[in-house]
Amino acid sequence: MSIAPAPAPTQVATFRPSGRTRIISIIMIVIGLLTALVFGLGSAASAHSSLTFTPINLANAPWHLGRLTLLTRWTNVILGLITVALGAEVFLRQPRRGVMVRFGVVAVLFLLALLLWASRAPGPSQVGYVNVTAVLIGSSEVAMVLIFGALSGLMCERSGVVNIAIEGQYIGGAFFGSVIASTTHDFFLAAIAGMVAGALLGLLLAFLSLRYLVDQIIVGVVIVTMISYLSSYLNLQVLTPYPQYNTGNLAPNLPIPLLSKIPIIGPVFFNQSAFFYLMLVLVGVISFALFKTRYGLHVRAVGEHPHAAATVGINVVRVRYINVVLGGAIAGIGGVAFMASQGQFQPGYTSGLGYIALAAMIFGRWRPSGAVAASVIFGLSVYLSENLQAYSIPISTEILGMFPYIITIVVVAGLIGRVRAPGADGIPYRHD
Amino acid sequence: MTEATPAPAPARTRHAALVWMTSQSPIVVTVLALVLGFFVGALIIITTTPAVLDAWRGLFHSWGAPGDALKVTFDNVGAAYRSMFTGSVFDPAQLWHSMTTGKGFDASLTPISETLTYATPLIIISTGVGIAFQTGLFNIGANGQAVLGGIAGGVAGSMLHMPMILHLPVTLIAGIAGGMVCGVIPGVLKAFTGAHEVIVTIMLNYVIYAFLLFAVLSTAFQQPGQSNDISRTMAPSAQLPPLFGAASGLRVSYGIFVALAVVLFAWWFLDRSSIGFDFRVTGANPSAAKASGISSRTVIVLVFLISGGLAGLAGIVQAASTTHYIDGGFLIGNAGIGFTAITIALLGRNRPMGILLSSLLFAALGVGGRTMQAATGIPLDLATVIQSIVVLFVATPVLVKEIFHLRAAKTEVLQLATQGWGS
Repeated sequence: MSIAPAPAPTQVATFRPSGRTRIISIIMIVIGLLTALVFGLGSAASAHSSLTFTPINLANAPWHLGRLTLLTRWTNVILGLITVALGAEVFLRQPRRGVMVRFGVVAVLFLLALLLWASRAPGPSQVGYVNVTAVLIGSSEVAMVLIFGALSGLMCERSGVVNIAIEGQYIGGAFFGSVIASTTHDFFLAAIAGMVAGALLGLLLAFLSLRYLVDQIIVGVVIVTMISYLSSYLNLQVLTPYPQYNTGNLAPNLPIPLLSKIPIIGPVFFNQSAFFYLMLVLVGVISFALFKTRYGLHVRAVGEHPHAAATVGINVVRVRYINVVLGGAIAGIGGVAFMASQGQFQPGYTSGLGYIALAAMIFGRWRPSGAVAASVIFGLSVYLSENLQAYSIPISTEILGMFPYIITIVVVAGLIGRVRAPGADGIPYRHD
Repeated sequence: MTEATPAPAPARTRHAALVWMTSQSPIVVTVLALVLGFFVGALIIITTTPAVLDAWRGLFHSWGAPGDALKVTFDNVGAAYRSMFTGSVFDPAQLWHSMTTGKGFDASLTPISETLTYATPLIIISTGVGIAFQTGLFNIGANGQAVLGGIAGGVAGSMLHMPMILHLPVTLIAGIAGGMVCGVIPGVLKAFTGAHEVIVTIMLNYVIYAFLLFAVLSTAFQQPGQSNDISRTMAPSAQLPPLFGAASGLRVSYGIFVALAVVLFAWWFLDRSSIGFDFRVTGANPSAAKASGISSRTVIVLVFLISGGLAGLAGIVQAASTTHYIDGGFLIGNAGIGFTAITIALLGRNRPMGILLSSLLFAALGVGGRTMQAATGIPLDLATVIQSIVVLFVATPVLVKEIFHLRAAKTEVLQLATQGWGS
């Protein structure tokens, strides 16, 4: 129980094309058939789906794109057949690399087909079109929050500590971010407050799991429980009697000159809040720091094989402390960003985003770029599950709401084992 | 592991018991963790209650006597914890009243009856979580499993019609089956794909919460004539009747015997049965278990079946003994029962007897928390915060001993580990 030996590095590079690849390919084929049959042939032959691109809240945008009208049935049949083809290719060729990329493509195609099907006209929907730019903007807000969390998980796990308390760090960040933003009306200070809250929770996790060797997952879960109820307590005890501490705090958008005028890309990437730009910078910084700097090498060494790292003079415990505290701070900012996109703090409103962020990090193979891509897919599915009801499709809100969670389960079940966690991830380290 | 074996028995045997108590026995750490938990809880009350803060602020403005501020502080904290006690154990004034007048014994028994009512599902579900922990598996999905058990049992209890001698067992078994269905998913995924049970069970919880709303709003299961998220009422033949009759007003039901039976079963299963032995070996040393021919896949799936089944049983016992229907917040609102179960299992060190006692303690905290909220306005959530803090301290015995300057073995950790993602 004390120290499990780190797995032998031979397990690292080779992966046997196994039944698991087959299972993933079969899942892909089933998704493709569903797409073609339900979303494709399930729509009337005369039904059309329209895609519009001019964002609603940018009516005076300097560009105006017309709508793209597609025949719902045949578009979705084609999307389904592409999915089936991808699945068949994985089934037959069993490629060594890129299975997850294909799975991500399949997820996006599926979501696109779902949107086309939901918005078809004549159909049950009153809306009759999909505003692609609005969907992308809405998903980007969720994806941004997930990316902060996934980066936090990445920082911790690359150094060998499982940070399952991301959800708690979101909540802590959102709470203190809201209080500070409401009292100072300054999102910079709010971000600092959220960072401190997240970092303190990270420090608690590090202190208990590194100094006292308590199981990291258990500490993480108890921290989440504690902070959820503490925030709910404080909400009732402080924020409800003094609502001025928790008032509308939507972070303003900061359009970047010129770039924000680009059609579609402009409003999605260059007309966002400061948190979004901060997130983009963080992705770059962490990628660089982890793979191009001396400290990053130390981190990865500590995460893969702490005893080997210790023998070349790296202070394992110190590296882990630093990373877990930094990771907590990053997740804390994610909480502030979430609060700033919702306008205020509410107990329980993160509803598992922290765990989805962790799954995104796994899906992204413990790499910043992969985590970003996975967060985008999860962000899209969370956003759609919350907003598809606007199209009055014959699926109840509750069933739609299950969607991102089920995708997470499929991803985690389909991909773990194919992807390799850092060697010492979750294993307590004792220097001896 | 080489250094710091626990201190050898001291020369003076007179003190041996004391040394054992402070350095070996888990009881001292547990009690001290409780003390620390309530201490931190008091700090939280002090720093967040307006009346207390105002009293201290007044000190700076008018040079009032610090005694007043202290008195307000102690009054507030005292009132909170006193109402917690009177609401969950007994109210001395009420008891004195009924003893002197011979009337109102039911009223003086209400707090303890409420605590037992609240503890009943907690005992069952925490035993399941504890069995999983003993096998090295972390069942965070107990909440969803209990909810699905409640739904399945609720359907059986409200839609079937048969005599009680059949109906009640069928309802309970339906609950167990519901929990098993939800539990076997993470078990199979863990065993055959390696998907970590923590992520899968948490995600399944959210899926089941959504399904609960879907179920109680569906035409088949919704209470006829209602548009709210409320299910049909279970038939009287499917309900666990109150122990002292409906007339007494005491809610404690025959469910408490189900809970005690579960504790007995768990003790027998873990300590006496051969499968239970396999479970514990797998939890203590997975590679040794594998070497001795225990199939880890079978164990994982079985653990989740049993743990999920017990969670489902807890769900249906809760529905069959208290509300007799299910609503959209069933077992989720306030302290989600699954998370309370984790803290209880950890506090009870995953042993059936420990879990029984911890369940009673945390049930008292929960029930007392409600009284505290009603009497003092301090939100009930504080009780859960205290529970979490207690568990953090229980998980860190060395820290507790350092705080109280007790002798501690350096290597002492809570004998519990989950497995990382990769393994």
